[in-house]
Amino acid sequence: MLQPHSLLWHYLWLGPQVLQGALAVVLWRRGIHKLFPFFFAYLIFGAIEQFTLYAMDVVPFGSVDAFWEAFFAGAIIEGAIKFAVIGELFFHLLQSRPAIAKLGSRLISGVGAAVLLLAVAAAAYTPVVHRPLISISRAYILLQSSYVIDCGLALFLFLFAAHFKLTWNYRAFGIALGLGTVWCEHMAAWTLSASGVLHNKSYLLDFVNTGTYHVCVLIWCYFLLVPEKVATTSAVSLPENNLDIWNRELERLLQQ
Amino acid sequence: MILAIVIVTAAILALGIILRLATIQHLQVSRERAGQVGSIRPIDIEAFRNLVDSAEDEYLRRRLSPAKFREVRRTRLRAMAAYVHAVGENAAVLVRVGELALASGDPHIAEASQQLVNDALLLRRNATVALARIYFALAWPYSSFAAVRVADRYERLSGSAMLLGRLQNPAIAVRLSASRAR
Repeated sequence: MLQPHSLLWHYLWLGPQVLQGALAVVLWRRGIHKLFPFFFAYLIFGAIEQFTLYAMDVVPFGSVDAFWEAFFAGAIIEGAIKFAVIGELFFHLLQSRPAIAKLGSRLISGVGAAVLLLAVAAAAYTPVVHRPLISISRAYILLQSSYVIDCGLALFLFLFAAHFKLTWNYRAFGIALGLGTVWCEHMAAWTLSASGVLHNKSYLLDFVNTGTYHVCVLIWCYFLLVPEKVATTSAVSLPENNLDIWNRELERLLQQ
Repeated sequence: MILAIVIVTAAILALGIILRLATIQHLQVSRERAGQVGSIRPIDIEAFRNLVDSAEDEYLRRRLSPAKFREVRRTRLRAMAAYVHAVGENAAVLVRVGELALASGDPHIAEASQQLVNDALLLRRNATVALARIYFALAWPYSSFAAVRVADRYERLSGSAMLLGRLQNPAIAVRLSASRAR
């Protein structure tokens, strides 16, 4: 079952892409794509990319070189879209919080530069293990570097929101949770692929990658298609006891 | 191989942190739906101002031996850190209160809420920076810094919270006046 070109292997490669394509269609119909245009582009591009790669993998006349060249090119374009998606999520997080928008922009730029340096350093020290076909190693190292940056930025988004006790927009939260999960897993999996530690068992990582991606597409479907539960009250009052304490403190201040 | 282990460990840690923070966020939203936000700890602003007063530090520096001064300064810095931490936590609670009140249909409440959220976020930011500087000063007790901005911001935040409290529940404001008359 856990073999390349098994039924499960085909399903895990194509299933999430079909679901992702369907999700993109529903988002378009409901007009949600206008709220998250880059994420929408990510869904569309990801589905097209994976269908193309799948076709190149299964057709008997496809060359290995052409597959890895297409894989590499797709990873570059997808990497650029992922940066735009991170920017989009950050924009949603800071949209109604101008007080920390400038600080947030500076911090994310700084964190981005730091993880970029780490990714470059990691790439420089990653050995080229697939010498007969250099394009495989090149693609693996590119993906490792790309996911080091993505994972670092996703982690920063969650830490930033948690530190300032910011509440995510319901849909943005779902997108960030899915992306954060899949990027962390991909970072580990592509690193293992690039280092060649699994030798001829590296196809097992395909199952981990596609399985995790499937879970993430389901997370997106849930958060983007199931409406948020509406709170019973539109606003929460300051707790009365707290306000009394607060008032007492202020009165004490005024009397001094 | 070592590099791969480091990156994989970092990825697992990052995933753990993200999932934990996502769960906390989810629980927080659930609690807020039930009308529960955190509680605010009272802060003695004057005592805090006294702690951050550079003139007091200067006086202590002149009066005490260097070793004694370092000891006293570190004690004061630890107390300062406790205050600033409490201020930051209060600011975080007020961010949530303000953001929940933002959904109100009343434009006055919405405006007061936005003001409260902005002030609370700025205070949280200042508290973070002040804490970093306090910990730096703990290592180098002779370094000087001013945490007065935190105190100023805290007073301003108090005003914003009072305004929102009054708009949301005018009875509280009446009681405040009554207790003052007493």
